[in-house]
Amino acid sequence: MAVLIVNASPRAPRSNSKRYGEIFSEYCQEETVYFPLSKTNHEKICEQMEQFSKMVIVFPLYADGLPVTLLHFLKTLEQNPPSQKPVVSVLINCGFFEPRQNDIAVSMLELFCKRHGYPFGAVLKIGSGEAILDTPFQFFLKRKMKKFAAAVTSGKNRTFSVTMPIFKSVFLKASTNYWIAYGKKNGVTPEQMDTMLIEGK
Amino acid sequence: MNTMKLILSDRPLRLSVPEGVTYVDLSGLNIANCIGCFGCWTKTPGCCVIRDDAVKVYPLIAKSDTVLYVSRVFCGGYDTVMKTMLERAIPIQKAFIRLHCGETHHVQRAVAPKKAVILAYGTQDSQEQALFRRLIDRNARNMNFAEYSVLFTDENGLENAVENEVKKWQS
Repeated sequence: MAVLIVNASPRAPRSNSKRYGEIFSEYCQEETVYFPLSKTNHEKICEQMEQFSKMVIVFPLYADGLPVTLLHFLKTLEQNPPSQKPVVSVLINCGFFEPRQNDIAVSMLELFCKRHGYPFGAVLKIGSGEAILDTPFQFFLKRKMKKFAAAVTSGKNRTFSVTMPIFKSVFLKASTNYWIAYGKKNGVTPEQMDTMLIEGK
Repeated sequence: MNTMKLILSDRPLRLSVPEGVTYVDLSGLNIANCIGCFGCWTKTPGCCVIRDDAVKVYPLIAKSDTVLYVSRVFCGGYDTVMKTMLERAIPIQKAFIRLHCGETHHVQRAVAPKKAVILAYGTQDSQEQALFRRLIDRNARNMNFAEYSVLFTDENGLENAVENEVKKWQS
């Protein structure tokens, strides 16, 4: 039976979560079916869920917790539960260095699953998730993804984490350079990005 | 920096709002979801590219040195009304990352250090309350809470609880 991947990123079509979902599919020994959340497809995904025994929710950390797109989906799921509930696994990334900054969001999904009778499966917590895919360190990510995918397909409740294998001081410099390059593409200088003003005041 | 006191609620509250306190009922505002475009960091720094009511609220959050957030709890976190606003408040931070409390966090723009009270309602059990407390502890690092407390109440006791907190501000 195939594994359902739900991308709950607010920018699903062009998100890092989409890329993480694709890497998961590469390593998953079972067929995968991918759904990005949109404003209008929550009920459809709830209906489809009955056909899957395993589900992976992939999303970024937002303001220390679940992104509001995912909260809306969970509310729809509360109202439209499938008769057969899949094992729910979590693939979460944050832009911070420390994968543990994802812990609260994982606990939130675990609580949802406990309350609503969904078996809780495997977890992969990714730190430095904004940039790791475009660095040579993606090798480390892929190695953990392979283990995560094996745990998902075997239905095991295992937790993995990964980040760039560098010192935090190096990460800080690399992330600064990453964001400066991001601004440069938009014609914005580092000084402009560094403004203390909010709404120009 | 001018500072102020702010009540940010996810539902209408019948309150006598004292002078010097700003009260915002988020449920009456038009606030779209953050779309994760990073525009507020890399295109129009300090300004969200979505020009709805959120752009009036996050400057208030930034300026306030005393805040009372009133929110229903869902899955151990803020329910959607408050969470939507907090996600839209990222223009008050910079893209750049610093070390803070030994962890990596975004650099703040002109954000006043805050004394925060989070008044939460709608929790179902002690496990959910414990998770919500953990969330606020993390918020403290990312939202510049110099000190904070988390209070739980039910919907019936909500307005009294708010009044009690606001009275403390005046004493």
